[in-house]
Amino acid sequence: MFAIRSTRSRVILQIVLTIIVVPFLLPLIAMVSGSLAGEGWGNYTTVLSVPELPLFFRNSAIIAAATIAIVYAVTMAGAFGFSKLHVRAKELYFWMLLATLTLPEAVLLAPLFATATALNIYNTYWAVILPMAALQVPFAVLLARNFMNGIPDELLAAARIDGAGSVKIFWYIMLPLTKPIGAAIVVFTLIGAWNDYLLPLVFLVDPTTQTITQLPQFFVGEFNQDQTKVLASAVITAIPEIVAYLCLQRSFERGLTAGALR
Amino acid sequence: MTIASAPARRRAGKRGGLDRPAATGHRRSGFRPAGYAWILPALVLSVGLIYYSIGYTGYISTLSWNGTSPDPTQVGLHNFTQLFSDHVFWLAAQHTIISFVATFVIQTVLGVVLAVMLHSRPWAGVLYKIVLFVPVVLAPAITAPVFRQIFAANGPLNALLQHVGLGAIAVPWLAQPGTSLMAIIAISIWQWTGMTFILYYAAMGQIDPEVLEAAELDGAGNVRKLVSIVWPSLRGTTIALLTLSAIGSLKTFDIPWLVTVGGPDYSTEFFGTMIYRQSIILSQVGYGAAISVMVILLALVMGVAINVRPWRSRAAAGAS
Repeated sequence: MFAIRSTRSRVILQIVLTIIVVPFLLPLIAMVSGSLAGEGWGNYTTVLSVPELPLFFRNSAIIAAATIAIVYAVTMAGAFGFSKLHVRAKELYFWMLLATLTLPEAVLLAPLFATATALNIYNTYWAVILPMAALQVPFAVLLARNFMNGIPDELLAAARIDGAGSVKIFWYIMLPLTKPIGAAIVVFTLIGAWNDYLLPLVFLVDPTTQTITQLPQFFVGEFNQDQTKVLASAVITAIPEIVAYLCLQRSFERGLTAGALR
Repeated sequence: MTIASAPARRRAGKRGGLDRPAATGHRRSGFRPAGYAWILPALVLSVGLIYYSIGYTGYISTLSWNGTSPDPTQVGLHNFTQLFSDHVFWLAAQHTIISFVATFVIQTVLGVVLAVMLHSRPWAGVLYKIVLFVPVVLAPAITAPVFRQIFAANGPLNALLQHVGLGAIAVPWLAQPGTSLMAIIAISIWQWTGMTFILYYAAMGQIDPEVLEAAELDGAGNVRKLVSIVWPSLRGTTIALLTLSAIGSLKTFDIPWLVTVGGPDYSTEFFGTMIYRQSIILSQVGYGAAISVMVILLALVMGVAINVRPWRSRAAAGAS
């Protein structure tokens, strides 16, 4: 895009870029080197031998998978309705949905706590999955509806003439055509669910249900403030996230460019 | 919040591989089957759960309640009068504004500069992109222990400062009220610049190369192109990011809670940490709900402000 011709300006570009980016790398290096201080790799073997460790990963995986499934199903159906079907006062409903985008999850704590206790789902996955999905759906619907608006109505009209009902059109036309944005929604929801800290902190109380974001706290208790072990556990939790990002990088960037945030 | 405007929809259409001019979504094209059943699940889940919670919060905010006792006391608006005279609440408001302005300005500058540099085909550009974006996908809960260590009195940051002869400014960053908020802001910037960068990077990729070539033929240099062509065409992205950071600043919780627990002396208290402290730690659920009500009102005002924004039509015109 920008013409850099001389070798000199090329070198300057590279140096300035490196100077800006290195501070972003340093905390990651500090994390890894801190985790290897003291007993070195021994920190990792100690952390990995903690019997509760797999439970945290399992819980996070279950919660993320359920949240993604719910968000995807609800969002795609909702966006189809908002984009292509007749609903009276559609805009009103849409605005009611979008208004929730601005709300921090902290403001929902007290009522959700009281409700979860009353419904007896406190310390179960549902107490986290349902509010998390509810908070993710509005943005996902916004993305998906904008994407679906780009699919020509003529296509649906043609299918309708051929005798396809709404369900068939949704299944055989909309879902395949919305795969790019669908993938982006899955990635966003995955990051949101996997990284969420507050809801699991409040609603899940022991290692049989807690998620990986509670791990550092758990290890602070477990290893009596031994910082090297805590950092080793942080590295172990960070690795799957980085691997997942590297694998899903394309869908993620495509989702962002698919007409979402412009 | 309609972040995407008409041009975005058009682009989305192109991306879907459909060559028709799109954006016919709102026009009635003959028979349209009813869609209530399709939008119902989304409405029940999100609107239902969230509006129910908001209503419930409003009710709880009039109580003096510890969260478990079966018969809470009605106190009317007492929680709110107490809140307005609570200096911690005003501190939280102040911190929210400071951190919103600081993170938005710094991230925008860094994001644009980095996007421009990485569009100039540097060597190993992909590696830089990955380093910038990894913090975005890592949970603050996972990175918080590292930052507690980095900013510690005898931590790596101060070691580095002493090493380069800046030992005089090496302070226990998180342990004194004057610097703790700066540290929290720095961590937010570390975490979210990758997001700003990637959005600007994507937006710059949408600029028609022919326009840039034409400008180049007319003798425009790199700076001129950046100021006159690139930056104006990023306007939509900047507004979207402004919106996202404003919302994000109201949601701040993870980083200050995990790194400094809102302290020392409430110097890094935000609305989120205050609500959590009052509702869960101190069991002042009624008071916590009153703070929540104020935050909901703020979010509402902000949402309205964003949507009646005078620049909306101009932005749409500028983007196309």
